This record gives sequence, C-alpha cells and structure tokens, in this order.
Amino acid sequence: MKKQADIILETKDLCKYYGTSDNLVRAVDHIDLKIQPREFVSIVGKSGSGKSTLLHILGALDNPTSGKVFLDGEDISSFKEDALSKIRRRKIGFIFQSYNLIPSLNVWENIVLPLGLDGKPLDESFINDIIETLELSEKVRNLPNTLSGGQQQRCAIARAIAAKPSIILADEPTGNLDTKTGDEVMALLKTSAKKYGQTLVVITHNEEIAQMADRTIMLADGRIVSSGESEVVSNEEN
Amino acid sequence: MKKTNTVFTLAVSRLRYQKSRTLLTGIAIMLTAMLLMAIGTVGVAMFDMNRQMFSEMDYHAIFKDLAADQVTILTKHINVETLSTTETFADIVNGKMNGALVFRESIKDERLTDEDALSNSQTLESGHYPETEEEICSSPIFFRRVGAEPVIGGKVTLSFRVNGKGEIQTKEFTISGLEPDVEISEEIDDSRLMWAAYVSKALLSEYEDAGLYEPSLNATLRVYGEDELTYDEIADRINSVAADIGVDETHVNLNKEYLVTATDPGTEIIAIVAMISLIVILFSALVIYSIYYVGVITDVQEIGKLKALGASRRQIAKMFLWQGAIVSVFAIPIGLLIGFLLPYFLFPLVLYAYQSGSAISSYSRDAVEAVIGQIHMFSLPVLFTVALAALITVAVSLWKPIRLAKKVSPAEAIRYQESSSNRKSRKGHKEVKVAALTLANLTRNRKRTTVTILTMGLSCVLFICVSAVLSSISVEDMARRNIPRGDFHIALEYSLHDKEYPENNLDSLVQQEYFNDAFLTQLLSIEGIESVEREHGRILSSTDKESLLYEDYENRLPLSYFTRDEAAALNAVLNQGSIDYDRMAANNEIAYTSDYWFKQFGLSLGETYPLTLYDGHRKIPFTATLTAVTTPDNGFPLYIPPLIMTEDTWNSLGLTCDPTTDIYLYTDETHYDSVKAALMDIVAENEHFTLYSMDVEMRISRSGVGLTRDPLYLLLVLIAVIGFISLINTMITSIVTRKKELGVLQAIGLSGRQLVRMLAGEGLVFTAGTLIISLTLGNAAGYLLFLWAKKEHLMSISRYHYPLRETIGLTLVLVVGQLLITLLIRKKMEKESLIDRIRNQE
Repeated sequence: MKKQADIILETKDLCKYYGTSDNLVRAVDHIDLKIQPREFVSIVGKSGSGKSTLLHILGALDNPTSGKVFLDGEDISSFKEDALSKIRRRKIGFIFQSYNLIPSLNVWENIVLPLGLDGKPLDESFINDIIETLELSEKVRNLPNTLSGGQQQRCAIARAIAAKPSIILADEPTGNLDTKTGDEVMALLKTSAKKYGQTLVVITHNEEIAQMADRTIMLADGRIVSSGESEVVSNEEN
Repeated sequence: MKKTNTVFTLAVSRLRYQKSRTLLTGIAIMLTAMLLMAIGTVGVAMFDMNRQMFSEMDYHAIFKDLAADQVTILTKHINVETLSTTETFADIVNGKMNGALVFRESIKDERLTDEDALSNSQTLESGHYPETEEEICSSPIFFRRVGAEPVIGGKVTLSFRVNGKGEIQTKEFTISGLEPDVEISEEIDDSRLMWAAYVSKALLSEYEDAGLYEPSLNATLRVYGEDELTYDEIADRINSVAADIGVDETHVNLNKEYLVTATDPGTEIIAIVAMISLIVILFSALVIYSIYYVGVITDVQEIGKLKALGASRRQIAKMFLWQGAIVSVFAIPIGLLIGFLLPYFLFPLVLYAYQSGSAISSYSRDAVEAVIGQIHMFSLPVLFTVALAALITVAVSLWKPIRLAKKVSPAEAIRYQESSSNRKSRKGHKEVKVAALTLANLTRNRKRTTVTILTMGLSCVLFICVSAVLSSISVEDMARRNIPRGDFHIALEYSLHDKEYPENNLDSLVQQEYFNDAFLTQLLSIEGIESVEREHGRILSSTDKESLLYEDYENRLPLSYFTRDEAAALNAVLNQGSIDYDRMAANNEIAYTSDYWFKQFGLSLGETYPLTLYDGHRKIPFTATLTAVTTPDNGFPLYIPPLIMTEDTWNSLGLTCDPTTDIYLYTDETHYDSVKAALMDIVAENEHFTLYSMDVEMRISRSGVGLTRDPLYLLLVLIAVIGFISLINTMITSIVTRKKELGVLQAIGLSGRQLVRMLAGEGLVFTAGTLIISLTLGNAAGYLLFLWAKKEHLMSISRYHYPLRETIGLTLVLVVGQLLITLLIRKKMEKESLIDRIRNQE
C-alpha cells in the first residue's frame, strides 16, 4: 500500500537486537520516525546509542529484527538482498566516516561506479557539475591514496550524489577530518544536497553540524529521547 | 621473572589468526616433504631391487662362438675369476615351438671356498643336471609343453636339428632334474616364447665324435677386480682377456647394466632421483614463496603497525622465520611419514601387479613375493636429506618475502592501501561496469598478479610438458609394431636359406600362394570379419658380391617395395642419401631400412649390388644401387623388410608368384572373440602361420609401459595438487583481504550476482593466463622432451601424441576449481553481515 508521498522515509516500531537473552543488546528499540523529502536531519547521541545501527537499517545495509522501514512508501524491511542492492544503488547514497573509496579506481571512476553498476547512462554534465561543486576538478584522475582526507571525503560525497538518489545517509562524515576541513566538507554536502534536491540524514558528534540541520534527533539506548521538529514537520502534522 | 619471547608469541598468534593461510602453507610444505620422501624411498627400493636382481646375473661378459681350446686357455687365464660355458647343441623341432637343447657347465668360480664344491645343481628344484646321453632337464612347464609328464625318471621324446641345420633327429630322453616352475599366460603365441632344455656333455660328445656336431661355445665370465676398478678399466681388462685368446671384440658382450651397477653403485638411480627431486623442490619453493609473498603484501599495514610500535627489522624477520619453522615442525614429519608409507605399501603392489599381469613372468609367484618381501626401503640418510631439503625449501621461499617485510616503513601502517605505490593516477574509464572493476583490481598490483599467474603457469607447464611425454608412451603404438593395421595379423613364418628343408624357405612358400583369393574369401565369410588387407609382398634376394649386408643372413635378404605415397613418410625418417621416387624407379635404386645395422655392417651409399631375385624358382637378375638409408619404426608406415625398391620397379619384375607374407584383418568389435577363435583354428592348421591379435599385443605392451608410466602420472597429479594450492591461496587472499572493500561495493549497490561475476572474472583471468603460459611453453617444452625421449629410445616412444585429455582435464580443473573456490569463499564471507564487513579493520 502506498503511503503519503510527502514522507520519504518512515520507520514503524523498528527494533534491532543483538545477542541472546542474557546478553541482549537493544541497539535500536521501538523507533518510530518520519523524514520528509529535502529535509536535513541530524542524528546525535553517545557512542553505543544506536545511531549507526539505525542509519544502516535506513540505508538498507542491515535488516531489522522487527518493525518496518518504508522508503518512498514501500516497505523494504522484507526485501531480499538483490532487491536491497537495487534500492541502495538507485535511492540511497551512503557516506562513511572512513570514506571507503575503491583504491584501484581513480576519483572519476569512484564517482561514476554506482551508475555503472546500475547500467544507467552517464549524465556527464551532471557529474562534471558535481565535481566542480565539490572542487575536485583537478583530481579526477588521481588514485584515492594520493588524496588528503578532505579530498577523499568530497569524492565520497560526489559518489553518493552521482546516482541522483533521493536520500543521502552520512555516518559521521567529518569524524576523520580536522575542524576546518570538516566544516568545509559539511558545507559542501549541505549545498549539494539542496542543489540536487536530496534528503540528508547525518550522524554526528559535532554540535555545529547538528545545528545546521532542519531537525536533530537524539538517541539514547536505542530510543529517541528528543526529536527537535522543524517547521516542515510541524506543518505536516497539523 | 619469566621471560616471554614476544616475537614467538606474535608468530603463533598470527598463525592462528590467518588460519586458512597457515593451513595452505602447511599443506604445501607437507606435500613437498611427502613427494621428496616418496621419490627418495622409491629410489632406495629400486636400488635394492637392482642389487638383488643382479646378484643372480653377476657375470661381466659373454664371449661368443668360442672353440674348445679357447675355453681351455680361458680356464687358466690369470684374470678370470669365474667361468661357465653354454653350448647350443640343437634346435627343437616341435610345430611352432622355438626351443633349443643346451649344455651348460660351470668351470671355475674362485669366489667359492674349498668347502663349497662347485655345483651345477644349485638352481634345480629336484634331481640333478644331465650326465648320460639320455638325460635331460628343464622346467616342468617345458615338459608339459612337449607332452611329457614332469617327473624325475619320466620319458620324453624330442625331435631336433643339431646346430640348427641338417636332418631332423628324434630321441627319447629321461628326465634327470627339474627347475623351478614358471608361469606362462596361455594366450601368448608360441612364436613369442623361447624354450630351453639342458642335455649332457656326453650327448654332445657322441654327436661330435660322429661328425654331426660342430661345437660353438659361449663363455660367461667374471674377471678379478670388480671392487677396485672403474667401469672403463674393467671393460679394458675383459677385452684384453678376449684378445689373449683370440676373440674379436665383436664377439664380446659386456654385461653393461651389471657393470655399471657394480663399479659405480646407484649413480643412475641417484641421478634420476636427484633430478626429479630438484624439479619438485624448485616448484614447491615457487608455490610456498608465492603464498608468503602474497601474505606479506597483504600484511603491510600490520607489519607497519608492528614497526611503529618498535619492532626492529630483525624481529620482523624472526617473526616470519618462526612462522615458517612452526608450520614446518608439524608439516614436515607428517609429509615424511606419508611419503615413506605410500611407496612402502604401493611399490610392492605395483611390482606384484605387473609381474603377475605380464604375459611372461620369469619368476614363480612365490619367488616374486619373496623378493618383494625383502626389498629394503628405509634409509636414515634419505630421511635426513629430505627433511633438510624441505626445510631449505621453506627457508628459500621465505627469503624474499622477509626482505620485503623488513623494508616496510611504519608510515605505511596508516596510509597504505594495497596498490602499486609509485602510481599516483590512472587514466581509467569513463564508465565503470563490472568488467572495468575486475580489470582495475587485477592491475592494481601487477606484481602480485604476475607472480600468481607465473607460479600457476609454471606448475602447469611442468604438467603439460610431462604429459606430452607420458601420453606419447602409447600402449597402442607398441602393440602396433606387430599389427600395423586392423585387429589381427596373420604372418607367414619362413626361413631364408634352409638347405636341408628348402620347402620352408620363402621362395618355396610363395609358390604355395597361401594368401590367395580363395583363402581371403574364406576369411571374409567368417562372421564379423569386415575386410582383409594384404601387406606389400616380399621376395628373397641374394648376391655374388662379398658384403656383410648379405653374409649375416645366409646370403638371402627379403626385399619389398614402397609406393609413391609412402615415399614422403620414408623421407621423414631418412638417415642418409635421398628418397626420390622417380629417380629411384628410373635407376633401379634401393633403400636400406635400418641406420643402426647400416653402420654396424660398415656399408656405404652408392654401392651397386648384382642381385638375384627369387620369384619362386624363377631367378631374376637385377642390378641395384643402394642410395638411401631410412629407419621407419617397425609397422610404420608399413611392415618393412631390410631392402625396399619402388613400386614401379617391383611391378616391372613381372612376378608370377603371390609374394604376400602378411595379411591384416579388420573385425567389428562385437564379433572380436568369435573371430579370434575361428582364426586360431585356421592358423593351427597351417604350421607356417602365426596369428597376432590386438588384445594380446595390447596386454603385453601395457605390462611393459604401465610400470613406468603410472607412477609418473601419480607424481604429475601431486605436482598439480601443489599448483592448485597456489590457486586456492590466491583466491582466498584476494577475497579475504578485500572483505571490507567488497562490502563497500555492495553498500553502494553491487548486487550479489555482480559480485560473483567480478570475482569469477578475476579468477578467469588467472586461469586464462595460466593456460596461455602452460599451453604455449608447456607444449613447446613437451615436444622437445618428446624428441629427446624418442632419440634416447625411452619407453619405446616413437610417435608424438598431443596430451589432449590432460589439457582438457587441466582446463576443466582450473575453470571449475576457481569458480567453486570463489563461490565457497563468497558463501563463507556472507555469513558475516555487510555491516560487519564494512567495519572490518576500522
């Protein structure tokens, strides 16, 4: 059944448990969440609060123990691995803390990889536009190990945007960068997400970044403790 | 305080952590030790078996065609240690049986002490050697064969021709002694066997006195100095003894095999064992090296971290040495044990199988079992040498990887991503699909890719190269020597120049026209015979010219022809002169068909022979010039006599007789057995016919070939197994070490199917590279090895057989093997969740 179109990502009673009865870890514990298109959401919380686990389930990288995840109105929690990989390459762009570029491919190749895997035609001007926006024009032929951390993360951002996904999920994208570079990268990420009309969900420890977001969700022990609402959300709920 | 060896502990924990790599290295080292030990043990066993076998035929030489007074001088000769004589008194005449009556006498054995009387009865099972004119002794099977009961005191009547000529005599003998019994397969044709029975000196003297027997003795002797002299010195001594009694060197047969063994014990076996071992060591070192090398490359970060924590270069080297040593401590003893036990149990079985499987066994079953039970296989020096060789192999394989590890800088711990360090950029592709991804990964570390392909390629080169020779050891080729075409061969047995019984000579037999159309029609009427082919006919020739060519053959040589089509095949095996069909036809030229005898007889090309050709009783004068020497393998391209002329010349002779001496029969498979039975009946009716059947020829050849070929195939399979370990290692390392990277690829949308395609693609490049190297280099080397084996007359190799089955097998194993490994590793990998894999190493 199709859900309302103006909710792009929704979880219902989402749980992820590890271990057995004595040693049970409730990484995600009954989380209900709604994210709207073009919204910029930050997720904060202490180590072990379940941020990354939540993000991985939202990004179709992991399966929940129970509950549902709706992406564009479709329940993906029961999808098989092959269908999930299609979702990942078409609808989601993922940015990791440690960049995770493919070392044998150059910058350009890393960026266009998701498109190639999907067999989509290449929109060169769009890719060049991203590269320019992320200030990587000089480095397209470089191999990842010759880039600085900031450059690598910008390349990872470009890769996440390239397939024009509706959602970009970033797991502490500035965690490995110094403050100045981190701010630059974050600014670029926000700018591009806005420019290309993408929803942005970012995990961060950084107060400043959290404040850049439309809304900040705070997690503790796998549960949402506060969910600062943005205007858009309150409008929707009214 | 207890001092703990940190480096040792580190080595142990690394071995535990990298379980699959430890296991693979262990298996490779174990197999190396096992192969070396098995080779060494077989060497020891063969050496011991040779020693035991030669103890039965420990003579140094045989002097042929001696007169009685020459033997007398020999007896007193100062250099002669032992002496016995053999006289062939008469040929037995009994249907198609080849047999002789022989007198044997031990004259002198200086090795015996006075108490050991010189005895002639040592080898008899019961009774004594013949003493009176009537007495005879042989093996029980001989007496059964001639229709007598094999008991001491039993009577047997034999017909024989003294000196192989003259009139047939018939005489009743009394059995005085019996030799140990011998087993002979019933299917073997009589014409393939040589029978002998012993008679007394008294009988020979009786005939000699009557002027009916011209003695011709063969003396078997040993000279002094076996323990001190070299092979050449002992050969010189033997030849000087021969010269002293006026025996020409051409009448001296040295017992070369024994002399080589006696004067230089085991050199040949040691050389072969050393050569095979060296190949195994080189090859194993390459495989173990590639496992360690790939290991170091993938461990650069860890090594860097260790260095950053303060590990010295020495400690890093020590850590790797400990790793090698610990694995060796377990792997080498296991390898040694299996390597000893395999031949310990298999070698006697193989020997026994071939002894009892062969058509003619020279020993009784009990004797074979006794010899096998006595073979000494264990040798402590071999054990230590092998253990040391295996350790050295490991050490050598570690040398380069350790140097590489020592060079790793601490900084690389942080920055290193497995990729060629000097490359900063790559041209890349505009679009990246699975194929491009595969290619990028292969070119990322060209050195590793190259090392892997080379290791596997070289192991397969070895495989293909040896296969080429082994597949050329063809049982069928050997069998085809007696049956060049078809399934059966009926041959006309003829004499060249028997003066007493001229009806047995070829020129008389051709007048009988045994293979006339009526006979062939009769054969064709047998159900199952599809066709009958006549071989080129042959007639006899003689010459007035004095020539060794004719002398050794009672001045009669068979002569045949070759067609225009066959000229090319003869030219392919040409030794001297030239075969030009038209020229030879125009000038009455002939060719000789054995380079060996051409040289032995000291013949030369261009000589003209005034010949007489025998068309039955009609004599055709014919002057021929010898202009070519060619050595076709027997049965290829045709069943060939010593002299051949062109078909045109042959036709111009206007022969009136049917010169066919051999026919070949083709049958359909389903009727093979009934056809064989029918042919055996037909052949039994004609004393001049001999039947060769393909199944018997194949069995005889197989028993000769298999003994050498099958163990070599086993060795080959083991080599292939070691090579395959290198493939498994590469696949595992390349997947396991990229666990995180592959996870990331899946996270950004690589589907399961695409992942398999990518990994299988990488594996296929390895496979293709391996195949290209092994098929080009391997086949070239294999052909060269075949040419060498052919030249050395190894295992009767004569024709090159492309190792097709082996090639297809290799390709299948490589392709299927690497796909299976890919799938297995992927399955194992996917037990870990995608998230865990991405987090791996973070």
